[in-house]
Amino acid sequence: MAQMSARPAAISDDAYNARLEKIASSPEMREDNITLPYAGAMKLSGAMGVVGILGLLLVVIGAFVYNPKHALAAFEVGLFTVTAASLGSLFLVMIWNMMIAGWHVTIRRHFENAASLLPFCCLGLGAVVLIELWGPGREGSGVLLQWLYAEKQGTFLVEHKAGYLNPLFLGVRWVIYTVVWSFLALRLRALSREQDRTGDRWLSRKARFMSGWGLLITALTTAFAAFDFLMSMDYRFFSTMWGVYFFAISALAAVSLASLVFAGIRSMGRLTGVVTDEHFHDLGKLVFAFTCFWAYIAFGQYFLIWYSNIPEETYYFIHRTTGDWKPLFVALTFAHFVVPFVLLVSRIPKRSTLALGVAGVYMLVLTVADLVWIIRPMVYLGAEGAEAGPGMMGWWLDAAGILGVLGIYGALLIRQTASAPLIPTKDPMLHEAMAHKNYV
Amino acid sequence: MISPANILADIADYMPFMKRPAPRFISESGNRIYGIVAEYADPHAVTVAAEQFRDAGYTRWDVYSPFPIHGMEGHMGIKRTILPVAAFGAAVTGVLAALALQYFTNDIDYQFVVQGKPTNAWEPFIPVTFELGVLLTAFTCIGGMLMLNGLPRWNHPLFSSERFLKVSDDRLIIAVEAADANFDPDATRRLLEESGGTNIELIEDDD
Repeated sequence: MAQMSARPAAISDDAYNARLEKIASSPEMREDNITLPYAGAMKLSGAMGVVGILGLLLVVIGAFVYNPKHALAAFEVGLFTVTAASLGSLFLVMIWNMMIAGWHVTIRRHFENAASLLPFCCLGLGAVVLIELWGPGREGSGVLLQWLYAEKQGTFLVEHKAGYLNPLFLGVRWVIYTVVWSFLALRLRALSREQDRTGDRWLSRKARFMSGWGLLITALTTAFAAFDFLMSMDYRFFSTMWGVYFFAISALAAVSLASLVFAGIRSMGRLTGVVTDEHFHDLGKLVFAFTCFWAYIAFGQYFLIWYSNIPEETYYFIHRTTGDWKPLFVALTFAHFVVPFVLLVSRIPKRSTLALGVAGVYMLVLTVADLVWIIRPMVYLGAEGAEAGPGMMGWWLDAAGILGVLGIYGALLIRQTASAPLIPTKDPMLHEAMAHKNYV
Repeated sequence: MISPANILADIADYMPFMKRPAPRFISESGNRIYGIVAEYADPHAVTVAAEQFRDAGYTRWDVYSPFPIHGMEGHMGIKRTILPVAAFGAAVTGVLAALALQYFTNDIDYQFVVQGKPTNAWEPFIPVTFELGVLLTAFTCIGGMLMLNGLPRWNHPLFSSERFLKVSDDRLIIAVEAADANFDPDATRRLLEESGGTNIELIEDDD
């Protein structure tokens, strides 16, 4: 323990404090450049919150008058979009802390803000667990989680997987996810906020130490959460790639959201000289990289299952790549990979505030579409006749669920963003981030 | 300055059996003049001097230093490389060639059912398509880089200068080539002097 408390000797305390003061007195660090206008932000936050609450009300109404399965699926599409964005943000914050990265410092506060909404995402997941176990679905329980259906009990696969897929363990896992994610996200943001006040560089080491073990258990919990809530909706299906697939969705959602947020902040004339074209270039590289990573993982998973042609795996993709869902599958292939690849491969759009902001919105929409493709086919799986098609009203319910969750998430994110400086003002690497250049 | 004569001259540099064009400038000893070099005191001085040569319209010259000087390409007025465009073209070529080859062989020329899969299924084509796209891109990047920067080569006229060899140690040097359209032995020497250059030396190309 004695070793851990030894302070880094690379630069003396006096020189360090002098550097902090020099940065603090630079023109870029004036108050109206590194904070959002509070009243205006609250107005926007309120508007988004109203949209969100109206959307969720519509979902509740839809659940009672139309179809509870469809309503829950619509809610989950929105919920997993924002959970992915928050989890991806948590991942990136921890990776950057671990790597002692310099360039990211001026954009890190947004990622901390997004990650700090994980408790709300976990509340949403808790609601999903409650509805699945005791909700207004069918006789007994189970709305979208088929292994909870009364008529499936006693079948071979449900019995075989009961050691993992049982109500009690599902509840326990939800508690674990909530505790782990909330603790890490809130603690990392609190450390960063404390450093804003005290300027103590020891806090960066604390955050780095936490990020080390945090990354490991967040990787495991993210994979298992993806198994629990997305993959096991259809309890027969399994894919060892699924955890990585959801991580790819998360990381892409996180950097897309960040592109949108920083394009917005910069278009308001804030963060001038703090978040520059150079940071946008790197953010754009991350959007591009995770687009490719998503395509790699999504294709890898699909390809192996297609090739091996084992019925208990292939029917999952047959349902999603033929018939009603085929257009979405083809659209995802091109719109989620080919189009962004060609548009973002050049450095010009990456360095443009407008272009990268548009790309961020576009990739978020495609993330929603991806989750629609994962979740929505479950609703009418096996349904026949009049029940088989979603119908016009069905799409309204989807829109309400997605906009409802996204609206509330946006409202909370703007509140978080406006409640603190837009950058960690006394981070030890801040001088490096402000002078960041790509040289390519 | 790209003209057929210049390109031929550059190629002749690498091909000993080719006749090189007649030199524009000849030294007192009768040798072909390669160019003029000058030394500078510190990175700032060489940066300022580089801007003067850039503004005077020189194109065939270079700054040599033992360490990278960030932003020097801006001070020298070097344009961005066209290599990314070539690489993108190679990638598109590779992707299209791989798809065409596989569709032709598997679905048109010689249909052979494997594992009961359709002969025109796109899934098995993707790995090969990806690999060929990457392969051609990599080849184009490496080959294009070597073509654009003129490496590797047997020797370089600058190596005949003892002082120049110190550039990998502790010198900052600007070398202007006689092939530059603006080059003139007296005017260029004067510009090197005015921009703060010392130990100015005429480099002969004596082969």
